[in-house]
Amino acid sequence: MASISEIKKGVVIKHQNDLWVVTSFNFVNPGKGSAFTKTKMRSISSGKSLEVTYKSSESVDIVSVSRVNMQFLYKGVNNYSFMNKDTYETVDVDADILGDDAKFLRDGLDVIAVLYEDSVVAIDLPKKVTYVVKQAPPAVKGDSASGNVTKEIILDNDLVIQAPIFIKEGEEVVVNTETGDYGGRAIEK
Amino acid sequence: MSDQINHIQNNFKNLSKRAKILKKLREFFWQQNFLEVETPNIVSLPGQEPYLSPVNFLINDEKGRQYSAYLHTSPEYTMKKMLASGFENIFSICKCFRDKESFGGIHNPEFTMLEWYRVNADFFEIMQDVENLFASVGDMKNKFQRIHMRDLWQKFAGVNLDDYLEKEKMFSLCLDKGFKPSEDESYEDLFYRIFLNMIEPQLNGYYIVHHYPAQMAALAKLSDDERYAERFEVYVNGIEIANAFSELTDAKEQKARLVEERKLREKLGASVYNIDEDFVDAVDILPKCAGIALGVDRLVQVLLGCQNIDNVLVLPASKIFK
Repeated sequence: MASISEIKKGVVIKHQNDLWVVTSFNFVNPGKGSAFTKTKMRSISSGKSLEVTYKSSESVDIVSVSRVNMQFLYKGVNNYSFMNKDTYETVDVDADILGDDAKFLRDGLDVIAVLYEDSVVAIDLPKKVTYVVKQAPPAVKGDSASGNVTKEIILDNDLVIQAPIFIKEGEEVVVNTETGDYGGRAIEK
Repeated sequence: MSDQINHIQNNFKNLSKRAKILKKLREFFWQQNFLEVETPNIVSLPGQEPYLSPVNFLINDEKGRQYSAYLHTSPEYTMKKMLASGFENIFSICKCFRDKESFGGIHNPEFTMLEWYRVNADFFEIMQDVENLFASVGDMKNKFQRIHMRDLWQKFAGVNLDDYLEKEKMFSLCLDKGFKPSEDESYEDLFYRIFLNMIEPQLNGYYIVHHYPAQMAALAKLSDDERYAERFEVYVNGIEIANAFSELTDAKEQKARLVEERKLREKLGASVYNIDEDFVDAVDILPKCAGIALGVDRLVQVLLGCQNIDNVLVLPASKIFK
């Protein structure tokens, strides 16, 4: 058994005789009654979602999983194809498993796949990913005076983010995949 | 570019809107002849809430004499001392501080609290204030649903809360519902097991949940039906935004509850300090009043649709302590 503080995204938990992948979690201290962690998870067998609240003093049954380096290849109809970097095999992952994270994928992106009994149950993205800016409207004089210090830009994988007005097409920018926020210009290599 | 400047630039629009919301909040109260008051952030005796951890530090005077100090967890004690001294309708918008909470999500160790009190009023008038306040800051389309805690349990957990107002009964209800509570859990903890797992996730929309079991009265007075206290909480899409009471004005009862809470702090291994006797004195001469504490950052989150509190803060703890 493990402590609640070990819960994080991608961890596999045994709960009510089923295995669940943690998709998000939120610490809450209501100030009245003890603190707890609200955990959202997805069943590995049925794909259905569940929200469970654990008290900080409780313990959970964390199942050991293996982690493998994979590279994103291409998007299929209802799945995403990756290459296992150890075996060079192609592995198809259901769109449901990636959820909202799919929008951060771009050609050749290195990710870590979480494997339970040889099947992929979750994908861990790098915290920061670099993209090339595909479209960025030019800055208009007076923008910053009127408070518009950001603008919408489109990246090479069609992801849309808010970025500072000085960003131009063709530049490389970093995006934080946990928040979807602009994280600065890519540092020149 | 620096991480901190990136954060501010990314959230420029939210932060600008936040400033305007704060202005509207102040106008809302000034227009009703409330006085805005400032209370000390640095205190020697913070609140006794068993599950809060006040930030503790040492402060020195000019002679080098050292005092144990705390940052307040809410302005409640001082505001009640003001009410006891003759101030009537008052509000405060201030920073509050709580240790051992998450950096981000729906918590930040320093956060902005809006607290207000009305004299000669009960918690129903504060409910009306909440509804008017949401309308005045621009959220007109969403109507609050007022619901008695007992009705809420009936609706979402399918049980009559009247039958589960004692610890032993709530314990067996937890077992029936498939939870595994430990023997030493308080009534509050048992209550929250069911509330948080079975009820709160279903509170989609705008709710005012009123009448808490007497065991969870905190600083509220009991209602005519003494099994319940005149306390309510405001929930928006499952997030708690505010907590309100018809204030307890019985000093003896207040002292007894503080002694109990102090004992519980000791048992839980939390830091222990003396009871603020000046506060107990204030309760003794407190006029009939009702008050509420509302988390301003969470209010801004709800109004702007931000999932993470960090997106409504200039520099959240997660960007300060890396």
